Amino acid sequence: MDFSALNEALAFKSYDKVADICDTFMLQVASEGVSFHEEWPYAIHLIGHIYINDINSARFLWKKIPLSVKESQPEVSAAWKIGQRLWIKDYASVHEAIREFKWSPQCQGIVAAFSQLYTKRMFELLLSAYSTISIQDTALFLGMNEDDAANYVLQHGWTVDLTSRMLTVKKQTIATEQKLDPSKLQRLTEYVFHLEH
Amino acid sequence: MNSVESLVAQIQGLSGNIGELTQLRNYLKQSDDLLRTESTRLAPLLTELDPSIHSLGYLYILEACTSTPISKDQSNELVLSVARFINVCSTEQIRLAPDRFVSICRRLKEQVMLLEDPVRGVAPLLTAIRKLQLSTEQLTTLHPDFLLLCLLSKCYKPGLSVLEDDVFEVEQPRDLFLYCYYGGMICIGQKQFRKALELLHNVVTAPMPIISAIAVEAYKKYILVSLIHLGQFATSFPKYTSSAAQRNLKNFSPPYLELVNSYSTGRVSELENCVLANRDKFESDKNLGLVKQVVSSMYKRNIQRLTQTYLTLSLQDIANTVQLNSPKEAEMHVLQMIQEGDIYATINQKDGMVRFLEDPEQYKTCEMIEHLDFSIQRIMMLSKKLTNMNEIMSCDSSYLGKVGRERQRFDFDDFDTVPSKFNI
Repeated sequence: MDFSALNEALAFKSYDKVADICDTFMLQVASEGVSFHEEWPYAIHLIGHIYINDINSARFLWKKIPLSVKESQPEVSAAWKIGQRLWIKDYASVHEAIREFKWSPQCQGIVAAFSQLYTKRMFELLLSAYSTISIQDTALFLGMNEDDAANYVLQHGWTVDLTSRMLTVKKQTIATEQKLDPSKLQRLTEYVFHLEH
Repeated sequence: MNSVESLVAQIQGLSGNIGELTQLRNYLKQSDDLLRTESTRLAPLLTELDPSIHSLGYLYILEACTSTPISKDQSNELVLSVARFINVCSTEQIRLAPDRFVSICRRLKEQVMLLEDPVRGVAPLLTAIRKLQLSTEQLTTLHPDFLLLCLLSKCYKPGLSVLEDDVFEVEQPRDLFLYCYYGGMICIGQKQFRKALELLHNVVTAPMPIISAIAVEAYKKYILVSLIHLGQFATSFPKYTSSAAQRNLKNFSPPYLELVNSYSTGRVSELENCVLANRDKFESDKNLGLVKQVVSSMYKRNIQRLTQTYLTLSLQDIANTVQLNSPKEAEMHVLQMIQEGDIYATINQKDGMVRFLEDPEQYKTCEMIEHLDFSIQRIMMLSKKLTNMNEIMSCDSSYLGKVGRERQRFDFDDFDTVPSKFNI
C-alpha cells in the first residue's frame, strides 16, 4: 500500500486533510481486494477525524476496526479514548486521554496539534458561555494547572478575584466583515422590485 | 460466422465512433442467445479486449460471464473484475447499454454482501453512479444499492456526498423510497437531523397506491427524528399525503405514537416509563438508540422552553424544573447547548446563575447576505422547474385525455345548453 499522500500531509502538517485522505484511500484499497486491516494506520485515521471535530465518523471508524487490531495495537484504543471522551462531552478528561498515552513518533505531531487546537476550542467555548468561572474549572477545561490556566486567560484580558478564586470573562468583540459588495445589494433590490411589481 | 471469435472481431472493429457503436450494440443484442449459451467459455475473451476502449463489447461479455451462478472463490475474482471495469470503462459507451451496466453493478453488490465485505463495493458503486447519470439531478437505480453498502460498511461520509445532490428525475418509485429511507438513516448516523427529516418526510408523503414496509419503517424513524429535532410531532398528515399512508401508517406504529404523547407532557419520568414499557418493540425495530436520543433531547427542549419565560435563572432552579440531579449537571447541559448554538446564554458561576440572551444575529453581515442571495436563487430555480413541469404536464396527451373525460362527466358548463334555449 502506498501511503505517500498521507505521509506528505503529515509532513506538511496539513492535519485537516488526513481524514479525507485516509477515507478515500481505504475505499480504494478495499475495492482492489487488498486485505488492509493489519497494516492500516487506524490510530492516525481516528485522530484525523477527531482533529476536524468529526466525532461521528471517528465513532463509525472505531466500529469498523477488527477486534484483533484493537487488541494488538494499544495506540488505536488510546486514540479512540480521546474520541469517546469527546463523544460523551466530558470536556476536561479529553486532556487526560491525550496525556496518559505515550504516542508513537508517527502520531506525536498530529496529537500535539490536536491538543493545542482543543485547548483553543475550549477557551473559545468558555469565552462564549461564561461571564464568571472558577479558576479550578478553567484549569480543568483548558487542561492546565491552575496557575498556568489563570495566566493564560489573564493574557486575554480576563480579570481575577483572588479571594473567591473566580475569573471574570472579558468578551471579545468579534469583528465581522460588514462591507457590502454593491452588486449584491443591487441584486437583492432587483428581487424585491420584481416581487412588488 | 456467428461464433464467439467473430464476436470479438466485431467488438474490436466497431468501437470507434458513435455510429459504429450503435451498430455494435444492435449486433450484440442479436447475439444475446449466443452469449447466454456460451457464457462459461467467454471469460478468456476478456483478455483480448481493452475495457477502456472496447467498453460496450466488454460490458456485454462481462455481463454474460457474471450472470451464471458461481462459487465463493470465484466471487472474489468477479468483484475484482467488475470493480476494475467500472473504474476504467468509457462513460459514453456504457450509457448505450445502461441495463447491462446496472446488471453488473447489482451483481457486484450481491457478491460483496455474500462475501460479508460491503466496503469493497462502496467506491466502485459511487463511480458507477457518476458514470451512469446524465446529471446530478437524476436518481439512478444504483443509488439505493450504493447507500445500502455505505450503511452496511459504516462508511457514512461517502453516502452524504450523494445525498447533497437535489433530485428531480426519478424512474422507479421504489428507487426513491429506498434512496430516501437509507439516506435518512445515513443522515441520522451523522446527526444531520434536518436533512434526515426531509428525506423521511419524502418517503411518508410520496404518492403510493398501497402501503409498503419501507414507508412503515420510515414513518417510525420520522416520528423519532421529528421529536429529536423539532421537539414535537404533528400526528396529522400534510394534505398531499396518499390516502394509503394516511389510513394505515398509524396502525403500524402505536408505541411510537405513545412516545409522542408522553413527550408532549414535558416530563422526563413519564417519557422514560413509556420507553421502558415499549422497550422490546423499539429494540426489535432497531430504533432503541434513536429512542434514547429522544429522551436526552427532552432535557434540551425543557431548558430551551425556560429561555422563553425567564431572563435569568439559577442553575439550581434549572436542575429542579427539568429534573436534573444537581446544579452542576444543569450547568453542563446549558454549556453543551451554548456550544451547539441551541440557546444563547451566559453562565455566571460566581452567583450560580444563567442569563438568557437574544440571538445575536443581526442579518447584516456579508455572509448572511450571501446566504440570503443563495437561498433566493435556489427557490427561483425550483420555481422555474415547477412551472416547466406544469407546462409539460398540461401538454401531455394522456393527462389531457383523463382530465377531458372527467370534465365531461362532472362539469355542467361543458354541456352546450345555449342553442336549445334559442330554440324556445
